[in-house]
Amino acid sequence: MFTRFSTAVVAGGILTAGILPLFILPDQAHAIPAFARKYNVNCTTCHTAPPILNQYGQRFLENGYQLPGTEDGGIIGKRKLGDLTLDEVTNYVGFRLVGNVVRNWGFKKENPSGLDAGVVENKTEFAFPENFVLFAGGTVTKNVGFMVELGHDVEAGGAAVERGFVTFNNIGRHDLLHLRVGKFDPNTFSSYATVRQQLGDVGESQTGGCLPFLPCTFNRAGLAPSAFATKFYGLYDRAGNYLSPFGASLYNSGAETGVDIHGRPFGDWFLYQIGILNGANEAMGDSNKGKDVYGMIRFDYARSQNFSANISGFIYHGNSNAKVQTQEDVNWHRWGVSARATYKMVDVYAAYAVDKINKTPTALSGLFDSTATGLTVGADAYVTDRALVSVRYDNLDAGGMLDQRKSSSFVGIQAKYFLRTNVAVFVRDDFNIRKSEGGESAARNLRNAFFAGVDIVF
Amino acid sequence: MRKHIITLVAMLIVCASETSFVFAVKPEDNRVTRGKGKVVYERACAMCHGGDGKGDGAAGWFIGRYSSPHPRDFTTESFKFRSTASGEMPTDQDLFRTVTQGIPGYMPSFNGLSEEERWAVIAYVQSFNSMFKEEKPTPLSIPDPPFPSSEASIENGRKLYVKYSCDHCHGDNGYGDGPESLKGNLKDSRGRSISAGNLSDRASMKNGTAPRDIYRSLMTGLDGTPMPSFGDSLQGKEKEAWDLVHYILSLSSERGLLRW
Repeated sequence: MFTRFSTAVVAGGILTAGILPLFILPDQAHAIPAFARKYNVNCTTCHTAPPILNQYGQRFLENGYQLPGTEDGGIIGKRKLGDLTLDEVTNYVGFRLVGNVVRNWGFKKENPSGLDAGVVENKTEFAFPENFVLFAGGTVTKNVGFMVELGHDVEAGGAAVERGFVTFNNIGRHDLLHLRVGKFDPNTFSSYATVRQQLGDVGESQTGGCLPFLPCTFNRAGLAPSAFATKFYGLYDRAGNYLSPFGASLYNSGAETGVDIHGRPFGDWFLYQIGILNGANEAMGDSNKGKDVYGMIRFDYARSQNFSANISGFIYHGNSNAKVQTQEDVNWHRWGVSARATYKMVDVYAAYAVDKINKTPTALSGLFDSTATGLTVGADAYVTDRALVSVRYDNLDAGGMLDQRKSSSFVGIQAKYFLRTNVAVFVRDDFNIRKSEGGESAARNLRNAFFAGVDIVF
Repeated sequence: MRKHIITLVAMLIVCASETSFVFAVKPEDNRVTRGKGKVVYERACAMCHGGDGKGDGAAGWFIGRYSSPHPRDFTTESFKFRSTASGEMPTDQDLFRTVTQGIPGYMPSFNGLSEEERWAVIAYVQSFNSMFKEEKPTPLSIPDPPFPSSEASIENGRKLYVKYSCDHCHGDNGYGDGPESLKGNLKDSRGRSISAGNLSDRASMKNGTAPRDIYRSLMTGLDGTPMPSFGDSLQGKEKEAWDLVHYILSLSSERGLLRW
């Protein structure tokens, strides 16, 4: 068992041995992920700091991977093949790897009474790489784009297509209507996109051996934006597996299958999005008896003085998205707002979402809280050309089974140093700031978590 | 004979298509053209250059962050990429070339816009600065290389590289690591730190990589940056100028757009 001091020594040693050589590599001004490679520009043409998009990157995404204002199918550097225009393979393919070289959990493990007497446990884990994503994206002809992301979570095991969709752009006239078909992240156009965060998600620690449709306990809370999270304790998927209250879901799901449209018919200041999905949590819990529908509107201001601001509002109507322990389906809805303001080196964002489960089964009357809320507020700031400091506050007022639900509040702080524009090392600590809530809960068991890691995109 | 004519016509077509942006003809600059240009500008340019052309668009800050380069302020700043003497405004063709080719590392090529759209947006950009109306910029004569590169020419160019103190900024081997650069003494016209160009990497040469492009950069300088014009120093010394061009090109290799 490592002590904190020895952990720090090991972390320092690994960082020195593994990361230091990167400092002495010749520095280049340019980034090299797929789109940057294709257009021969720096990552920060489209990103404030990868993976978060700036206004230009946002418009590039909305326009189906064509430069804003163009409808040429990203013709630059391409070869013609009949009606198709194809890039070099290297201009289509990108790769992102995120790994925590050393992770130090300092948590007090206390399972519910009777299951565990409660032990204080400081735990150190090595996880490298923790996650990697291989993606291919771009355009195949005028106004037709695509994106496929293959992800692999080392801890959970297995690789899967996380996202895969085709876009048809500028239907009718420029920016009037863009269509996406496939498996995509519904909220990618809102002010705060689920899959683009500086402080990456950290999964919860779940007690093993959970039985179908029976309460299942967590040893430790997950670290994810609370506004995006499932928020409810006591929900199950189709097979009776317990749904994590900390996983992204509904409009903020990482990816669901369906169709959606978006556009800016009145100019840059207004964006609309309407979509229909097979169902949120399709793979896990949605019984798919009815389709889910959602809508989002966003107002933008971005003209001068290196300032931009936007605010989004959305509503998501879910049909039979999950089951409760009586094995009955429930309709689970969400509405919320998110906002973002960027001024030079500072990027501030927030999201608030309210979740509501309609018609809780009568057997659970008085036992189930059908409303839950989540608030996420964050900020990133470049303190030098290469150093980015991020902070995020999350507050989860959980819902669900009253005897299981526990709310939580965390603050995460991260310092990221970009060795090159596509290679960064970071240190991060997340603190539990709501320790007053009763013991023996996932929300209480995490005191703080420290990470030192590397984030590489190429 | 007929075969020769067809071949000649085909060659002319190929040459014209390859260099079409050089000879692109600007349409009449009127309110309609500028109106069309405004629409294109708002969609394609304003996010970096700002709605009023001041180089302060919402996304622009992140390109250079605390350092140079930042998007051009069309209203007051001088222009880097010109075929005109230092201190003069760029020609229409200069602007068309920059929009079409982009600036490696910092601004994508807007070849995806139609030629008409590119000219329209240039007309709109010129409306930000009255100097475009007041001045009639005269391009310098940029000849084709009068002789090919040779070992002797490169060797002479190397000596000139030292003579004209290019190594003070660009370093002995052109890596951009000269003492002035390493000391952080190089600043742009807004006082922001700027690094010397890496001459060993053609993909990072912002003003083009053809011999004429290098010659143009030497003669015009890059206004707004510490790169001066050598137009006066090399006046009447055509051979020296081209020896220097050949040496600069010998420092680099063609690596296209792939940057690993």
